Order: sequence, then structure tokens, then C-alpha cells
Amino acid sequence: MSTVIQPSSLSPDVDNTIAPEPGFRAAIMHMIFGRKSTVFALVVMLIFIVVAVLAPWISPYDPLAQSFLSINKPPSAAHWLGTDQFGRDVLSRMIHGSRNSLLFGLISPALAAIFGTALGVTAGYFGGAVDRVISRLIDLLLAFPELLLAIMIAAVLGGAFWNIIAVITVAFIPGFARVARASTLAVKQEPYVEAAVAVGLRTPTIIIRHIIPNIAAPIVVLMTLWVASAIRLEASLSFLGIGTRAPNPSWGNIIRDGLNNLFGSPWPIIAAGFAITCVVLSFNLFGDAVRDVLDPETAE
Amino acid sequence: MTQTPMTQAPVLAQGQSATATTKPARPLLKVENLSVEFGPKASPIRVVNGVSFEVDAGGSVGIVGESGSGKSITSLAVMGLIPSPPGRIVEGRVEFEGTNLLEMQKARLPDIRGRDIAMIFQEPMSSLNPVMTIGDQIGEAIKLHEKMSREQRRERIVELLKLVGIPNPEGRLGAYPHQFSGGMRQRVMIAMAVACNPKLLIADEPTTALDVTIQAQVLELMHKIRRTLNTSILLISHDLGVIADVCERVVVMYAGRVVEEADVKSIFRNPSHPYTRGLLQSIPRLNDERSRLYQIPGSVPLAGTVKKGCPFFARCPDRIGRCAEEMPPMFAVSKSQRAACWVTAGANEGATAAVTAGVTAGGGVSEGATA
Repeated sequence: MSTVIQPSSLSPDVDNTIAPEPGFRAAIMHMIFGRKSTVFALVVMLIFIVVAVLAPWISPYDPLAQSFLSINKPPSAAHWLGTDQFGRDVLSRMIHGSRNSLLFGLISPALAAIFGTALGVTAGYFGGAVDRVISRLIDLLLAFPELLLAIMIAAVLGGAFWNIIAVITVAFIPGFARVARASTLAVKQEPYVEAAVAVGLRTPTIIIRHIIPNIAAPIVVLMTLWVASAIRLEASLSFLGIGTRAPNPSWGNIIRDGLNNLFGSPWPIIAAGFAITCVVLSFNLFGDAVRDVLDPETAE
Repeated sequence: MTQTPMTQAPVLAQGQSATATTKPARPLLKVENLSVEFGPKASPIRVVNGVSFEVDAGGSVGIVGESGSGKSITSLAVMGLIPSPPGRIVEGRVEFEGTNLLEMQKARLPDIRGRDIAMIFQEPMSSLNPVMTIGDQIGEAIKLHEKMSREQRRERIVELLKLVGIPNPEGRLGAYPHQFSGGMRQRVMIAMAVACNPKLLIADEPTTALDVTIQAQVLELMHKIRRTLNTSILLISHDLGVIADVCERVVVMYAGRVVEEADVKSIFRNPSHPYTRGLLQSIPRLNDERSRLYQIPGSVPLAGTVKKGCPFFARCPDRIGRCAEEMPPMFAVSKSQRAACWVTAGANEGATAAVTAGVTAGGGVSEGATA
């Protein structure tokens, strides 16, 4: 009987030292301005978006205008980024190309993340027959290389803008579904999900409020990583004549064309490669910041 | 099914008629002959076997037993939270305010959960969603079950945090679980559980993961909740000290069965089942002269391995031949105590006649002794 615990007075807890937590809006402001790299990433993203929107007004030349007199020129006052093998102004082509590349690069991973996550969470949360059907479908998609899949779908649907978006989206869905399913399986076991059931929450609420926020971190990171892949995939499709068709510029086909003329003028590849790197890097940095807000524990 | 050869049908009938005649006030929660199986249907493993007990309105009942005795599964079954597959409730009734929850439509269960029956879980460290602020998490249950404006809800959350003793509640609404210590998280869990004034609070080892001083505070908090909100408590624990502190009645479970059931004083003064005695002896004491702590020899049989006889047979110091062959039913030892043991029943001559297998906690026992 001596182990019977003596009821003690309900004294206030010892660890009263934690600073009060700021609200959600303050947390977002902190996320944006708390780290220099995030500010930098946002500025870079903003610049690219502004350039893409204002393309027709700010590009110094017609991106399609060829000039026999200025082939393979290095950067100069007249052509800031030099010219390609047809004498076209690289800067103008970059500016116009940013429209196609950013649209494909952003919309497709975002759509793939939405559909892929929905599929993966459904499979992971409900399990059983639902899981088997969805997982086999995903396996089926995974069995094809992304490019091959994209070519097949594009060949059937044709090369219109939304078709290309759809093609790249479908090609990316399996990756998101896989990650979402695996994460859901792990999160589903957590006691707080059981606690949510015990509180009386219904399944859709549990999935939206408790599962998805907890699996968002890897998905957001994956999404930012695939911005680059989407730009690259669009370039490959362009090369095959189903993406952005030559002579219209996109960053992908600027690289593609430049590769054949590497020794003539390296400037198109350098410019486009740099632009893609900047965009991808800034999206990754931004993704990290978003992840930190979604998962306050790792942010500390 | 083969493990329950006892006289179930007459027993049930007897139990029902008894409650009908001598005890008009129905208990808040009445678990009757509950059995839970896991694994494939062809070769099921029975982890809870014919468990019955009652919790009166405003009463507090403790379920005690070693790991693997089926006490957590029993509590999950009451909430309808048995993961299925692989688990399923194969027989029995879980009556809450006269409604059998097991027959209730699945879609209506969420209305009961959180509002009428709430639960506190074993692990406060992981029972809170790490990406939601505690204010939001407590608010979730309120939003679900009660119509309140944002401000009213906020006030209610602050009130709850105050009730469970979180200092500076207004400032902590936006805090995340990882900023709290284990004891404080358990308090938040309790605040969540009592957010809608549930009639029954099921606490599954609420103090196991906490250190002893925090344990005492959490137990005191449960007393306070019971006093202020008049909530009935069903406490699951392997710690008799915790049970003694909170509960009025105790149900001792072993290998999925109820082996003893009594008011808390009788359990400690006059433990009647050898297993209960073993548990009490195993409690380490500060003023202990022994150089080694006592332990019950052997370990809990794997679920489903005991095919006949008393499940405690292999470890029992008092076993007799009959124990290996027949599962003892619940014998009334005294007015408010019953035990499932042939030896105890033999020692208590008067009790042997009064064979009652339906266990009733919270006062429904006296009929057995007087019958």
C-alpha cells in the first residue's frame, strides 16, 4: 500500500518558461523574412514571374527574328546574352521562353501533387482492396519511363498546351502517389489519429486535418524538385515536336538547340541552364520554408 | 468459441433479471460477455473472453492486469475502435445508457465519441497532432459536437486549459505540442477529452509514460474532473497504486478474462484470486526487507493458447486438479466481491452455491451472494 500515490496539490507546471507562441500569420511572416535564403528565393521567383508576364514588352528583339549578320555572337551591348546559330537574340528568346517553361514547370508538378497525393492518401488510409487497385495502377504507370509515357499520351491527344500539361502531370503522378501512400501508412499508426477518431471526427475530416498536414513536408519538397524535371521533360517533348514547337522558344528547346551548336556559341546553354538552376533553387528554398511552417517541430 | 463452455445463456438471463428487479437505476455503461478475436476467421485468437462489468453514472471503475491481459482491447472495444481487420468483436453487448453500441450504425458512432464517451490515451507524447496548435485541437471536438461562435469556443478552450492547470492559458492557445512537456501534454489530452462534458471518460494508462510526481498531478486532475464535471471514469492501468487512488471498484483481468472484481477496499484487504494476491505482492515497497522483489513466476500465456481450465493454472501457487480441467466461473466471495477461482470458492463454503458468471461492477453484485 505504500506505493499508493499521494494526491498532491495541483501546482502550476514547472516549465512555464516557454515563450508564448505567435499566431499563424506571424508564423508566416517569420517564415518569409526570418531567413535570408527565403527572401532571396522569393525575390528570384518574383523576378522570373514578372519577366514572363511582361515578355512582349521588355524583350529587346523579336525572339524569332533571324539575322545572317550576327550569328554566334558573344554578349555585347546590342545582344546582352549573345546570339545563336541563326543570329537570334538569346535574351529575347530566354524572356519569351520563360512563359512556356514556367507554365509547364509549375502547373504540372502542382497538378500531379494534388492528384497523386489524393490517390496515395486514399490507398494508404483505407488499405485493403482500394489500396491494391490504386497501387497496381500506379505500378502500371511507373513501369513506363516518364518520357515514353508522355510521348504516348501526346501522340494520342495531340500537342495542344493543356494536353502537354496533362501528359507531364500523368507522368509525375506515380511519384507523388508513392510518397503520399508510404507517409500515410506511417501517420495512420500515430496515436493522434486514433485520438481524432475517439473525439468523434469523421474520416474526411481526419484525412484533411490530421493526415495531409503531416505528410505535406515530403510532398512539398518533391514538388519543388520536380519543377526542374517538368521543364526538362517539356524540352524533350519540344524536341520531338509535341511540346513547344520550334522556332517558338522555351528554355528546354533553347538548351536543346544550343547543344548542337555548343562550339559555335555556348551562350544559349549557359543562359538557359542558369535560368533553370535559379528557378529550381529558389523553388527548393521556398519549399523548405513551406515545409518548416507545415511542420513546426523540425523548424526549431 | 470452444473456450467459453460455461453456462452462458442461463447466466445472462439471471444477470438481467437481477438487474431488473433489484436495481432499477441502469448503469451508465454495461459491458456484457464481451469477446474480441484477432487474426483469420479460420484460426482466431481470442484476446478478450466473456468480459462483463458495469460503470455507474458518476462512478469510477479500474481495470487492472499485466500487459497482454486484454484491458486496452476492452477499452477500445467500448469505443468501437478495434482495428478491423484484423480484430472483431465476436459476441457480447456494450450498453451505453441502454443502447447497445455494437449494434449501432457505424455512421452514428462519431456522434457518441467525444460527446458522451471520451478517451485519454497511453502516450501523451504522440497523442497530439504535431502540426496543429493545441487550441485548434481542443477546439476540434467542441466545433464538432457543440454549436458555438468562435469567441465562445475560444473562451471555452481557455476555460478547459485553466481547468487542467495549464498556466497562462490565453497565451498557450497557439502553442504546438512539442513546446509542452509530457505532463502538460497529458493535461491537454484530458482537456480535449472533457471538452464536451462527456458522461464517461475512458483513460487507458494515462500515467504510464509520466514520471511519478507528474503522475500524482494527473491523478489529482482526474479527481478534480470527476468532482467538477461529474464524469464517470473507466481507468485502465497495470498500476494498483493508480487504481487505488482513483477508483471505487476494480476489475482484475488476466489473459482476456475477468478473474476478480470487487470494491477497491476488498481488493487490497482481502484479495481473493491468487493472481490478485500475486499482483499485490509484486508491488515494491520502500520499507521492504526482502532483497529480491516478488514476481509471479512465469508469464502471461500467449493469447489463445489456453484451451481449457483456468488461464492462471500454470502460474498459480494454490492450484488444484480441477483448475486444469474447468474454467472457474465467478463466485461471490462477499457482498461486493467476486473471484473466478475454485480454491477460493472451496474455502468460502457459503459462496460456492452462489455461482454467478456475469460480473457486475458498481453495485450490482449483492444478488449473487444472497441468492
